[in-house]
Amino acid sequence: MSTIFQRGPARPQANITSMIDVVFLLIVFFVLVSQIVDLESVDMELPEPEHPATALPEEEPRAVLNVLPGDDGECDGYRLAGRDYPVTSDGLGDLRAALVVLYQDIPGLRVNLRADRATDYRWVSPVLQVVRQAAGLSGTGLASARLNLVVQGGDR
Amino acid sequence: MARSATELDPRDVLETPPARRRIRTPMSIGLNLTSMIDVVFLLLVYFMVATDFRKAEEVYTLDLPERAEGMSVDPFELDDEPLLVLVRTSGSGGDSYRLGLDGPWDPVQDFQSLYEFLRSRQVDGMGGGLFGTDHPIVIIPDATVHWEYTIDAFNAAVRAGYVNVTLKEISS
Repeated sequence: MSTIFQRGPARPQANITSMIDVVFLLIVFFVLVSQIVDLESVDMELPEPEHPATALPEEEPRAVLNVLPGDDGECDGYRLAGRDYPVTSDGLGDLRAALVVLYQDIPGLRVNLRADRATDYRWVSPVLQVVRQAAGLSGTGLASARLNLVVQGGDR
Repeated sequence: MARSATELDPRDVLETPPARRRIRTPMSIGLNLTSMIDVVFLLLVYFMVATDFRKAEEVYTLDLPERAEGMSVDPFELDDEPLLVLVRTSGSGGDSYRLGLDGPWDPVQDFQSLYEFLRSRQVDGMGGGLFGTDHPIVIIPDATVHWEYTIDAFNAAVRAGYVNVTLKEISS
């Protein structure tokens, strides 16, 4: 009896270890990306100017402040760090207080302002006012509040 | 010839069971990964379908200076008179816009002509202008102007090379 037959017939098998590694990495990637997008980005149509002279956001600590779009240019409120604030003087006061705390915790904080392209300016203007006041009230010696106006990026 | 009980026949020795035991392959211990791979691929397909891919967002930087009461102002330092760009609503529902410039300037019709005007007013803009790149530009949108048009006006000024561009807030 030959040696080959003594060991039995050959059974070819694919080595799937590396495939499982890659597939798990993909799953972890998609899980993380989905969470980040859901927490910070409210679904809206951002302005998309022609020939944009924009910059990519820098790697600095930032808070995302969303102006929630309503019907016909109205506004349904503001959202900061997952919490909604109504469009009333009390709501704006609460928003200011939340921003003051953020400025005190993170000096040099950037506020990313996201608003729908069809939202009227009268709903965005109070946010500018609130951010400016919060930077002044935080007592961190900020000469000015730095705001990032977020728009849809073009093809780079 | 009769053999004793202890004597072995040579043919018996050749057919002993240990020789058959050596032929068998060793028992392999393996994990059945089929069901796990099924589940993992299902998860992968779910997340790929459910994930919403968007274009990257980009930003304009806007400084909001704190205008505190009683701030000391150097009386000998004369600020440049800011150039005021008015963005007004035209028609109903705020779907269109009208641009205006505060001062003895020719009217501008759209954001491209606003950009060309601002560009030509710069010192090196070949239009005989005297504005430096740090000349203050203030965008004054109407209350009902869409945010899109406000951003377009802001973009025209930034694109023309100005670094001191601000938005006027609506006084409450």
